[in-house]
Amino acid sequence: MAMSTEDLKAAILDKALKSPKAQLYIKDFYACDPDSSPRAIKNAANEMVREGKLTFWSSGSTTMYAAKGRAKNEEGDQGVN
Amino acid sequence: MPKHATPLLDQLESGPWPSFVSDMKRQAEKKPEVWDILGQLELSYHDRITHWKHGGIVGVFGYGGGIVGRYSDVPKQFPGVEHFHTIRVNQPSSKYYSTENLRAICNLWEKWGSGMTNMHGSTGDIILLGTKTENLEPFFWDLTHELGQDLGGSGSNLRSPACCLGQSRCEWACYDTQEACHQLTVKYQDELHRPAFPYKFKFKFSGCPNDCVAAIARSDFAVIGTWKDDIRIDQAAVKEYIAGNYPSNGGAHSGRDWGKFDIKKEVIDLCPTQCMWMEGGELKIDNSECTRCMHCINVMPRALRPGKEMGATVCMGAKAPILEGAQFATLIIPFVKVTKENEFQDLVDLIEKAWDWWMEVGKNRERIGEAMQRVGLPAFLEIMDVKPMPQHVREPRSNPYVFWKEEEVEGGWERDIKEFRRRHAM
Ligand code: SF4
Ligand code: SF4
Repeated sequence: MAMSTEDLKAAILDKALKSPKAQLYIKDFYACDPDSSPRAIKNAANEMVREGKLTFWSSGSTTMYAAKGRAKNEEGDQGVN
Repeated sequence: MPKHATPLLDQLESGPWPSFVSDMKRQAEKKPEVWDILGQLELSYHDRITHWKHGGIVGVFGYGGGIVGRYSDVPKQFPGVEHFHTIRVNQPSSKYYSTENLRAICNLWEKWGSGMTNMHGSTGDIILLGTKTENLEPFFWDLTHELGQDLGGSGSNLRSPACCLGQSRCEWACYDTQEACHQLTVKYQDELHRPAFPYKFKFKFSGCPNDCVAAIARSDFAVIGTWKDDIRIDQAAVKEYIAGNYPSNGGAHSGRDWGKFDIKKEVIDLCPTQCMWMEGGELKIDNSECTRCMHCINVMPRALRPGKEMGATVCMGAKAPILEGAQFATLIIPFVKVTKENEFQDLVDLIEKAWDWWMEVGKNRERIGEAMQRVGLPAFLEIMDVKPMPQHVREPRSNPYVFWKEEEVEGGWERDIKEFRRRHAM
């Protein structure tokens, strides 16, 4: 059974805080609850951005998520937009 | 007064054509930070490497797209461009503006940014070049509250959908591209403003196979108008073209004398499927062989028109990334009805089926076209619930092997090989 939104958010935050990588792709959070759909997980992560718990990091072409304060700004990126 | 010497850039002003360098120098008189763009660009020309860094945490509250962070890697030398973020504003469908709206956009950008614009970026958005982080929120407030306009897409989002002029001006449009583009933009606001996917995703809408928005080359989901029945022929008008009374291509080639119009040389012999001929003074078309390339219609618009049973072809998976090389979209659905009467439900079903699959199996930074390539077309068609059909075949088969699916093999992939080999020696 899929986790409740609250539990899912807690698991996402835990991962964002403890992962050795500061910035994570949305796919990296899928493992937080294999029973939640990718859409439910991205909705939870996006809500957490609005709540100020996560921040978006974007290269212009790809978007990543980081726990507030863990993301590095001004990261050089070789991608296009 | 120029702040930096720019000998290399100055050369770009010496040609007979307009120069962005002159434009920027003029703008620098109003906005001094523009001198620093010129200075940094001169340095890049000299060093043969860009001095922009991009990416970052910039954005407006609640949005995960629409603003691309840009920073100078030599801010001490060029403090005016230490931050120089790019903003994408969603363009109106088919890019129709009033001059009043264009002035308002320019004024807003003079107020909150460098005043420099790029109309338009290749996705279709209005591109506003260069502002500081602290200006983003007030700019966004004014854009949404005063102009009633919104940001476009960037990052792992749906990108601003784009469409051709369609039925607003073009007699060839096989469906209402503006309506489809607008309705789906409104429907997918969440996907447009907040990242949802492994990577970017683009819709583009062209009204006919001329594909004026280059949907087939540039979009993950290309909706290209087409027709099912026969090309409509006005034989009297065909005769007028042959007699030279109507200019070919709507007069587009009238700048020079190309000689007398020759229907055989210019139309019939150029039909890619060779399905046209003259018979008893009439133009004939074997419509079952016509590939809807538009050539004959483009040459003789007063004589030929698309058929009456109109809809669209959906091709998926175009991309032009740095890795793996560029790829055209692949035909998935040969014909689909595109109508606002059912709120474009046929397109919506296809889009959401593809998204659900790609969100699940797409790797980080893998476009849907790359994921399609990875699993192969037969597997992707199954995901889309489409039965393979002749239109899906690109070329005759050259590989003699038959690929079995697990359910077609007795015992599946898990069969005990040792047990099998006891009875069937190698
Ligand atoms: S794509 Fe076709 S319908 Fe659209 S503007 Fe071009 S020619 Fe007209
Ligand atoms: S549209 Fe193209 S393929 Fe069809 S009849 Fe005309 S030239 Fe031939």
